[in-house]
Order: sequence, then C-alpha cells, then structure tokens
Amino acid sequence: MTDTKDTNIHFHQELEELDRKVLSMVDRAEQMVEMAVQAVTNDDVDLARRVVVLDRGIDATYMEVHQDWTSLMARNQPLGSDLRRMTILIQLNVTFERMGDQCVNIAKIAQLNHGLPRVERICEQIREMGDLVRPMIRTAIEAYVRGDVDEARLLPAMDQPVDRLNANMYKETVAVGNNPQLLEWATKMLMVSRALERIGDQAVDFGEQTAYLMTGERAEFDEDGMTRPIDDHDNI
Amino acid sequence: MTNETSTENKIESAIGERMTTEPDRPGQAVPATAEVPGVIETKDMSVFYGDFLAVANVSLNFGANQISALIGPSGCGKSTVLRSLNRMNDLVATARTEGEVHYHGQNIYAEGVDPVEVRRTIGMVFQKPNPFPKSIFDNIAWGAKVNGFKGSKTDMAGLVQEALEAAALWDEVKDKLQESGYSLSGGQQQRLCIARAIATKPDVILMDEPCSALDPIATLRIEELMMELKENYSIVIVTHNMQQAARVSDKTAFFNVKLNDTGMRTGRLVEYSPTEQLFTSPKEKDTEDYITGRFG
Repeated sequence: MTDTKDTNIHFHQELEELDRKVLSMVDRAEQMVEMAVQAVTNDDVDLARRVVVLDRGIDATYMEVHQDWTSLMARNQPLGSDLRRMTILIQLNVTFERMGDQCVNIAKIAQLNHGLPRVERICEQIREMGDLVRPMIRTAIEAYVRGDVDEARLLPAMDQPVDRLNANMYKETVAVGNNPQLLEWATKMLMVSRALERIGDQAVDFGEQTAYLMTGERAEFDEDGMTRPIDDHDNI
Repeated sequence: MTNETSTENKIESAIGERMTTEPDRPGQAVPATAEVPGVIETKDMSVFYGDFLAVANVSLNFGANQISALIGPSGCGKSTVLRSLNRMNDLVATARTEGEVHYHGQNIYAEGVDPVEVRRTIGMVFQKPNPFPKSIFDNIAWGAKVNGFKGSKTDMAGLVQEALEAAALWDEVKDKLQESGYSLSGGQQQRLCIARAIATKPDVILMDEPCSALDPIATLRIEELMMELKENYSIVIVTHNMQQAARVSDKTAFFNVKLNDTGMRTGRLVEYSPTEQLFTSPKEKDTEDYITGRFG
C-alpha cells in the first residue's frame, strides 16, 4: 500500500527507541567480551576493572528498558509484528544483561587469577573462543537489524567450534598436572570457557528470536540452522 | 425474499444437521475451525444498499459454540455482514443481499423462509442497550410472548428467571423485577438485552459492538458472560476493540475497505484465522498493517 498511514506513529517511534536501547546493550556486551578475554589471558587487572564498570552501564540500561517496556505495553497493547517485537525485546533485555554478567564473571576471574602461574596453551584457546564468539554477536545483531533469517541461521554452525573448544577445556585443565597454583588458575579458566560458551548460546538464541520476529513461528535452530519446532521433543 | 409462508419447520429442521465443509477447498468458505462444526456459513455473500456495493463476496463459516469476531476499519462492512446473518438488513428498504447464508445447511434467504423466525433463532444484541420502556420482567416476557410463548404465569416467571440468570443479571434485579428497565445501569441494561435475546431460545447470538457504550467493569462482565454463553450458544461479535476480540473470540475475521475503479469503497474479507494467530502472526499484510496501526 503506497498510501499507508501510520496511525500508531508515536508508539512506533517509542518502539524504535526501545529497540535502539536494547541493541546498545549488545554492542557494549560485544566490546566487553573482547576486553574480558584480553584481561583474563593477559593478566590485566586494570582492564578487568573497566569491564566491571562497563557492566554497570548495561545494568542501568536493563532497568531503563524494563521500565520503558512496561510503560509502552500499558499504554498500547501492541499486536502482530509489534507484539512479537515487544516480546523479543523483553527477552533480549534479559539475555544481554546476562551476557554482560558473563563478562563480569570473566573479569573477576582475571582479578582472582592475578599473579598465578599460567599455561599459554589454555590462554590461546580462550582467545580463540573469544574470537569465535564476538563475530557471533555481530552476526546476530546484523541479522536482527536487517531482519535476515538466513543470516541468523548461520549462528548454530558458528557456535559448534565454541562448544568443541569448551568441551576440550576439561582435558586441558586435567593436563596441567598437580601444581596447586596452576590447577587453581586452570580451574578458573574452565569457568571462563564456560562463560564464553554461554555467550555463544545466547547469540544463537538471539538469532532464534530474529527468526520468530520475521516468520511468526516460535522455533529453535538445529545444528544446521534449520528450524526445529518447539514441540519436537524427539530430536532434542 | 418473502415471508408469505411460515417456514419455522425448515429452519428448525435444519438444527442438528451439521455442515461438513472441507477445509481449504477452493471456492469454499473458510472452515470455522478444524473439528468444529459450522453453524452459519455465508457463501459468496454481497450486500448492496441501492447501487452501492457495501461488502462483496464474503465466504465465512462460523463455528458452533464458538465466539467469532468481525473486525476492521469503519466502513469495511463488518456490521453489514453481521446484520445479514439474521436478515436484519431486510428492514433497510434499499438493502439487497446476494449469495447465500446457510444456517445449519439451510439458506435463510431462500424463498419461503420467514425472516422473523430467522431473527428469533439468530438473535441480536445492539451497540447501545435498548431495553423496552417496560419493567425488567416485561422486557423479557414481552419478547417471549411475541414469539409465541404459551405457558402459564409460573412458566413465564421461570423463563424470566432463567434468562436473567443466563445473562448474569438475576442476583442484581431479582428484588426489583417490576422496576423500569431504564432504572438499570448501562452495563445492566445491556445484560437485560442479552437476557431478552436469550428468552426467545435462540441458537446464535449476534452482537454489534455490545460494549462500546460501557465502562471497563461493565465490559468485563459482558465479556465474562459471553464466555459462559458460548457453552450453549454460538456468538458472532462485531467490535472496534481489537483487544476485546483478542480476549474473547476463538476466530477472527478481518475486513478491509477496498477502493474500486469507480471510486466505490467496498468492504472485503481479508483474513479469517484463529484469533491468536491473527493477532500475533497474521497471514495477510493488510491484517498486519491494520493491527499494528498502519493503514491507508
């Protein structure tokens, strides 16, 4: 319809603003992943502190989004794709806040591990996981902004090496031997690996939300990014 | 259209015969829902007011014991469609209906069908509560009498109580049945009108914006009442309030206005889907545009 009028223009403007606010959280989370990985692998406690400070910004936005969302919902009762976007935004708000928390967990481990002996091979693996996870966040954002479900479907494949590296980290931890300090350091790095693996999962979830927004079908992606209906219990 | 012979039997005999429309067959009405038998089915129905084509080619199948909502912008023909379902449009001199409207498989526009009997079987509740200028009791009793009620006074009292109870009004009015219907609040008056419709033992109740003149609490009562009534009746409701349609209905039909080559604005059925689907993931772009407030 070329002569379409938007009679809900004020709502749609506020919805866009809310959208921007939520996306600003994930932008910041992406930056925090990079900083947290650097901090923990380079034993940089100053950088770790900055991650914690940055997370306060995410937490503040989280509260703001919650408030704006509630107000917008109370004043409008949106339907159709507007309703789908609203449900996604409240979920993404929680997802991104947790992404920030995962980065804080990594940063705190960087502080706890400060000065302990380290194994470079494990640091390399954590850096590699960080390098895999950040493009996932970027891809998820781009897919959402463009409404590109095909791009969102790439995420499970991107997540597979992250899962493999995380699984391998147990072996690496065992392999450090009996030195108590080294073992303490490595055990904490296992938690770092787990945090990065979670962030990867959260990026996949973000992709699934985009698919729901665009198709109206609630679904989870399988490993190839194909849609698996949520009531398909056989293939879980 | 004629009312020269009483054809109560035709309509009555149609009750119990359930239509078996196959889903998704081209040219067939959209099924009420899978496994839900239809009660009223329009087949390629168009309604004219003089030369003006108000709504065109509507094929819909309303499910038994379901609440079906008709929504759409002003002038889309939703009230016209509703009024065609019980031949209320016959009362408009210039109105003319083409196509068919089947009630349990019987075309209510067929020759020999009595529109009065149609309106008894398919009752209507209007936007503005319109009680008669009579007592609460007589508001119910009068309609029943006109429709041939021949029981005793006790039977009539029983009927009035039954109808008022079914309309969730009995407890509020049982001690003042002889007071005027006008003494009630707007919401109570609307429930009185619903009781009046119920008293004639209809099968289907049509509601034309039944809550638009009511406050939120009275609206809630009517909506709760509708949910109770669908146990025994099939309901078709026209509403401007999309949230109301989303709250109460099982299926929703969205109508839109289309401008034709000659500049005539004619209503058309765009989509008829289960309500949850229509309001969260509609199939048609026109529906999506309307429910998100983007429409021309």
